[in-house]
Amino acid sequence: MGDVKLAFVVQRPQYKGETSRLAITHAIAYQTVEILLEDGDTVTPTLCFIGEGVLGLQKGQKAMDTYGITSTETHLKNALLVDLDVLVCKEDLEKYGIPEDSIPDAEEMGADKTIRVVPFSEIQKAIEDAKHVLFF
Amino acid sequence: MKLGVFVSDYTITVDTLDRLKAEKLGIILVANGVYHATIKENGKTSPLLDKTPNLYVLSEDLQTRGIAESDVDKRVKVVNYGDVVDLIFNEYEKTAWL
Amino acid sequence: MATLTIGVFPGLVGNMAYDFALKLAAAAVDKGHKVSIWFSGNATGSVKANQKHLKDYSTGEKHLKALLEKGVEMCTCEACTVARGIQKPEGIEGIQWNAMHWYLAKIHGADRVLHIGGE
Repeated sequence: MGDVKLAFVVQRPQYKGETSRLAITHAIAYQTVEILLEDGDTVTPTLCFIGEGVLGLQKGQKAMDTYGITSTETHLKNALLVDLDVLVCKEDLEKYGIPEDSIPDAEEMGADKTIRVVPFSEIQKAIEDAKHVLFF
Repeated sequence: MKLGVFVSDYTITVDTLDRLKAEKLGIILVANGVYHATIKENGKTSPLLDKTPNLYVLSEDLQTRGIAESDVDKRVKVVNYGDVVDLIFNEYEKTAWL
Repeated sequence: MATLTIGVFPGLVGNMAYDFALKLAAAAVDKGHKVSIWFSGNATGSVKANQKHLKDYSTGEKHLKALLEKGVEMCTCEACTVARGIQKPEGIEGIQWNAMHWYLAKIHGADRVLHIGGE
């Protein structure tokens, strides 16, 4: 069957419910899925943040200090370290007045990938290109 | 893209549905989403019903809420769980639960 | 016969999306399809055995057992489940415990996926 592309679309803010975080951790799990698949089969998720889903992505999070939980910032860095494509909707960042340079990267950890701020049309394309779409 | 969207709430707090483009869009109203098919808020039908001609509402979720099928907007087809399975497999390539 | 993978994240008690997922799974099996269900987040609380069915609350156990008998494959996110204080020996027999890649593997082989990701 080869590669199956998935679009993970996060439309709810981090730190209210749990599923916005679970979107990131489920996407990261693509790294180990091959142990359950036939040789040559892979899963490639693209992680997309739209609407209120762009809230809670900014640098400088202290969730471990305040609540003893891994921050979304750390999860995002881990996603970049395993080479996930992470897209954040440009129009929604502008809508909420969030500057693009407040979005973290994992360069200091050696990640090649960065979070890409893109127009919604590019997220629409990721949804169209995917075999399955999962809204969180 | 043929996309079947499940709407399970009456109050939609996100504009995702407005932004998604699909060559064939289906809206399947379930749980409290069924009110889109029946309520006329301030005398107006739900704007959701103008988005596509492919509208469905789950009969079990109407019955649960004491809503008669005769109260459902004429544009919306009443379906059961078996019909929803057929919609998923036969009419749409992808599904989204909003 | 086609395959349907359902991801269920809302809890058994407090959100009827869970009930929807199980009824949809049963309907799909009755039509001859193969179904797998992944429980994550609050939905993992439903895999604990010996649930008491109080009529003011949705119940999971008897429906889950019925689905297992129909051949539905089910798995709970182990991390989400133990985080809620449920250990594997307390779980409903027949429901698998695994990591999140189980869900991705089932999605890989599925013709259709319904991901119910709300709280």
